[in-house]
Amino acid sequence: MRQLIARRLLQAIPLLFVVSVVCFGLVKLAPGDPVLSFVTPNMHAEDIERIRHNLGLDQPAYVQYYHWLMECLSGNLGYSLVNHQPVFDQIVDRIPATAGLMGISIALAILIAIPLGLIAGSNRNRFIDKAINLFAYIGISVPTFWLGILAIYLFAIKLHWLPSMGMRTIGQNSAWDIIKHGILPCAVLTFGFLASYLRYIRSGTISQLKEDYVQIQYAFGSKKSTVLFRHVMKHILLPVITLLGLSIGDLVTGALVTETVFSWPGIGSLGMTAVRGMDYPVILGITIFSALLLVFGNLLADILYGVADPRIKLGEVSS
Amino acid sequence: MRKKIFGIAAVTLLTLVVSACSGNNNNGNTASNGDNTAQASPSASGSSQPKDGGNLIIAVGADPVILNPNYAGDRVSLTIDQSLYAPLFQVNNGVKTFYLADSLTPSADNLTYTLKLKSGLTWHDGQPLTADDVVFTFDKILDEKQNSFFRENLIIGGKPIQVVKVDDTTVDFKLPQVSPAFEATLVQLTPIPKHIFEKEDNIEKSTKNAAPIGSGPFKFKEYKTGEYVTLERFDNYFAGKPHLDSVTYRIAKDTNAANLALQNGEINVKYLDPQDVGTIEATKNFDILPYSEGRLAYLLFNENSDTGVLGKKEVRQAISYALSRDELIATAYSSKDYADPAKSFVTPDGLFHTNDVPSFDNDADKAKQLLEAAGVKNLKLRFIVSSGNKAQEAASLYVQQKLKAVGITVELKNMDASAYGQKFVDPNAKDFELAYAGYIMGYDPDAYSILYKTNSTSNYTHYSNKEVDALFVQGAGEADATKRGEAYVQLQNLIAEDAPIYPVAYTKTIVAVDKRYGGLDEAVLKPVVIFEDLSKIYLK
Repeated sequence: MRQLIARRLLQAIPLLFVVSVVCFGLVKLAPGDPVLSFVTPNMHAEDIERIRHNLGLDQPAYVQYYHWLMECLSGNLGYSLVNHQPVFDQIVDRIPATAGLMGISIALAILIAIPLGLIAGSNRNRFIDKAINLFAYIGISVPTFWLGILAIYLFAIKLHWLPSMGMRTIGQNSAWDIIKHGILPCAVLTFGFLASYLRYIRSGTISQLKEDYVQIQYAFGSKKSTVLFRHVMKHILLPVITLLGLSIGDLVTGALVTETVFSWPGIGSLGMTAVRGMDYPVILGITIFSALLLVFGNLLADILYGVADPRIKLGEVSS
Repeated sequence: MRKKIFGIAAVTLLTLVVSACSGNNNNGNTASNGDNTAQASPSASGSSQPKDGGNLIIAVGADPVILNPNYAGDRVSLTIDQSLYAPLFQVNNGVKTFYLADSLTPSADNLTYTLKLKSGLTWHDGQPLTADDVVFTFDKILDEKQNSFFRENLIIGGKPIQVVKVDDTTVDFKLPQVSPAFEATLVQLTPIPKHIFEKEDNIEKSTKNAAPIGSGPFKFKEYKTGEYVTLERFDNYFAGKPHLDSVTYRIAKDTNAANLALQNGEINVKYLDPQDVGTIEATKNFDILPYSEGRLAYLLFNENSDTGVLGKKEVRQAISYALSRDELIATAYSSKDYADPAKSFVTPDGLFHTNDVPSFDNDADKAKQLLEAAGVKNLKLRFIVSSGNKAQEAASLYVQQKLKAVGITVELKNMDASAYGQKFVDPNAKDFELAYAGYIMGYDPDAYSILYKTNSTSNYTHYSNKEVDALFVQGAGEADATKRGEAYVQLQNLIAEDAPIYPVAYTKTIVAVDKRYGGLDEAVLKPVVIFEDLSKIYLK
């Protein structure tokens, strides 16, 4: 196990390096010039060059990348080109809002997706399966910005049950207030996640039902619900773990669109602003941060595999 | 923190890039003031006595970049700073309203301006606001190490102005040469507190900006990143205690969601796009206020393109003749309510503006004749368009169709907004001939020299006319208002005749204000910052 972790961590280094090079390259290749946001119409060409020089943007791209990498290794993700605040602090500031929203949405989605997926899979092609499938397709197809606006219109404007935007009422700071503001974005995100989880779990269920152990359980006279929720469900946990591992990246990168629609002050909306403003350091910081979490999430999933299914001993197979 | 496109001239670039999208437009301040009155009065008549208390929530599209007026260039920071920091004075329709200043008097030779401050002014923390703060502010702007983009405005004819304290409430500004446009520069500058910033090496990066101390009607209370900025009443505001207890600037990045929040009462003041006016108006809960932003929307002719074809005046005039201003306005802004036809390069809020200038418009036969006379055949033009900008997209399709009728082929080159911005301001860009853009330059016509003088910094058309250059120099240094006016009227005629641009419309901004609020007239609608003085607004 220890070996597995060590190997995975070593593998992560080249991966992160490649991610950072690709991301840096893409940002550099994108049209637009960050210096423009510092330029006023009455500045002369020399002034503009001076700004470019002060920002280090007059150096070749590989030199810029090297400087950034060295700083990064010493734990400094750089400073925003727009507001000069440390990128690391800006990201950390926004983690609680995003992690809270995404964490709850993902957890809810999985809790709902497991029973629905089991029911759909075990009733393959029957009415209930088709109904659940339709629901899943809607969830995958409907864009969140539209669903978000619809939810705001219905629950905030028409019914007045919930606030339409933001994370809290101005000047208030109670948990209940934040929860009220979180319900709509959470519901919209849950719906999206739920739909894709459902499809994994349904197909997992279908293939598990063909396994011998299921036939044996039936032969012993177990009830269908017992078979499904006691035996099949255990096996379904494997794909769920994979999904969870992949979702850890989402936990912090957040949902660009949903956060923007609901004015939720998370990393998604920070990233959106950075992309629009060509704020290289912030874009890179967020990308690296999420790549790091993705690597970590996958590692965690691998470890949990071993726990969920002792037959899987990844670390030892190849050694 | 700067998106340095700032101040008045600053806003220009931003609008060049972002602008046309909001499709606002208009004309005349008088007209818009009239609108306000008409709209505000029914409500005011109900309970005309202003009451104290309440909160006002204004929607803004992004986080403020920096709450320090020496550095604020983005719309959101400028809007919040307007309430946080009182200006020295403001100018509306050529009339000064004094805020921190009591008077501003030029000397007989027009080389010294004496600024008198009101007495007994204080900062939000109770410290007195004196001439020392004014001198400090100007010194810091002039200090190259402090990176204030206003520095250029304080350099006249290559030399910096001098700022001298006379006594606690009097400051002399000594100019190296006569410059009537200096008053327009003073309008943009706001004192910052010396006692807060004097020990800071780098004011722009100072942590003091996180809890700003200003002199305006509202003082800083709380900023939640990505959520809102709240200001609360400043009881010692020199013009009297504001009516409202607090003002909140709520950050709402999604327009559709923000419109719903407006209808839901979670936002009280918000900019509207023309296409959303109907929906909001139908609720009957809002005053819809269109007002001039002093902005010109125009079709740009790039004389520097590699074909060089637009270097000929006749070709530019011919293209103008092929288009119809009224049709273009209807296409790009849906209604004339939000855009007034433009002929002069100076906006109607500008000094010496006249729309009585030569105009080439809506005459396809004339267009063909001119093209033939110029010996131009099978003309092909490239039109750059910022994708997603509704006004630009509509205008480009219209132009393409109209020019086809006179035998000109237009190739539309749609590109990402930042690529468009980069190409637009690149003085060496030779691969396009047409672009649809806009600018806000402020009320003093000298500001336009950077756009039309030969080889000046923002001459995106690459237009050059010796006579125009000379008139700009004359206008900038002429103290006599009559002679100055003559120079600028002549300039407007010359430039209109040369057609370096095809002026389309003076566009309006539209703001929706919840009907429960009064005092909108007294607060004065203002380009970029929405209201000039929020202390006058009250809850009915």
